[in-house]
Amino acid sequence: MKYLHKLLTLTLLPLLLGSCGYNQMVSLDESCTSQWANVENVYQRRADLIPNLVNTVKGAAGTEKDILTGVMEARAKATSTTIDANNLTPDKIAQFQQAQDGLSSALSRLLVTVERYPDIKSNQNFLELQAQLEGTENRISVERKKFNDQVNAYNSYIRQFPRVIYAAWFDFEKKGYFESTPGSEQAPQVSFD
Amino acid sequence: MKTIWIIFLLTINGVLAAQEFPPPPDPPRLVNDFTGLLTSQEQQTLERKLVAFNDSTGTQIAIVTVNSLNGYDVAEYSFELAELWGIGQAGEHNGILVLIAPNERRMFIATGYGIEGFVPDAIAKRIVEGTLKPNFRNESYFVGLDQATNLLMGLLSGQFSPQQLEEETPAIPFLLLIFIFFIVIFLIMKRGGRSGGYRGQGGHTYMGPYGGTTTWTDFSRGRGTFGGGGGFGGFGGGSFGGGGAGGSW
Repeated sequence: MKYLHKLLTLTLLPLLLGSCGYNQMVSLDESCTSQWANVENVYQRRADLIPNLVNTVKGAAGTEKDILTGVMEARAKATSTTIDANNLTPDKIAQFQQAQDGLSSALSRLLVTVERYPDIKSNQNFLELQAQLEGTENRISVERKKFNDQVNAYNSYIRQFPRVIYAAWFDFEKKGYFESTPGSEQAPQVSFD
Repeated sequence: MKTIWIIFLLTINGVLAAQEFPPPPDPPRLVNDFTGLLTSQEQQTLERKLVAFNDSTGTQIAIVTVNSLNGYDVAEYSFELAELWGIGQAGEHNGILVLIAPNERRMFIATGYGIEGFVPDAIAKRIVEGTLKPNFRNESYFVGLDQATNLLMGLLSGQFSPQQLEEETPAIPFLLLIFIFFIVIFLIMKRGGRSGGYRGQGGHTYMGPYGGTTTWTDFSRGRGTFGGGGGFGGFGGGSFGGGGAGGSW
């Protein structure tokens, strides 16, 4: 009987130790890190599409030099802004997002401009690139949302009692979210003047 | 007390999700026409075709029509719904959702992570623009969906193997083993004359496996197939990453 009691204690002890949440913090932290890799991946995918897109547009709308160089500059800036997956602080995330949003707006300027050139709009290559670009933007928003969900799970876990007291001792710091871009809640206005 | 809270939160979660997204169909179906766009004859024809495709290749193509996108973008709505239902197999992520919102005149073909390589966005876009759009404009919804699913099946045939039921089964015996383990412990304890306290402990640790899940959606996705002959076995918990294309008509 005594033996059995010991056995049961031994089985339950790890569970009690587990309840301080260290292992859970580690696994939530890892989920954020791996989801961050997915986020970077989809942004990279977009960056990879751009040279091709710019070349296609250049053929038919070479006069729009300002906009084309604007896109390439924004792309260079976005790809050079990388952050360490182990250091996803709110500041770093905001910085990353700012660079990527710069590219987003440069791209949308380009796509609006292209509307004026019927040649491009009937170009099969351009249409496929456009579909790929749309798909990439969808992927970005899906992966960003998944990342935010992971960060939310992690942040709320480390900030709950009693973890809030000792989470920082083990370097579990609050991570940053992607914010929705100001103005993105309003659909763009289309006019036919 | 904790258990009550968990049950309460789960219920609330289910209710909130149900308001914006329809819950997974029960019994499981691949063709879910919530708007009466197709006749029941047409639904059955499509369902039979898609179930046969699922049986032979394990790839799940679901067709869903909804009354309202509830203010969501059609792409966003499709990914949320596909993820919620878990279309495709968990390991392969080989699910496709063809979503139609007739009132908003929007459609979207969402491809799971595992499908993206075989149905690239540009191809999905071509199916939307070349097959769905012209047919939908003529209000021949069945013809459009029939042709579109044929195209998708052509791209995907032979890419995945049928669902392996052997892989799915261990889930139940494992829980059963834990259960038997605790029953044995109880019986021994009871013989030893101390039953009360440990019964509570046992129940508590039994909740353990669920405590480890990170997101609530995992609960709805974790369902495996129910096996059995005849109809569609159920969605397997596939995941979506934003692949696919859509449009309006």
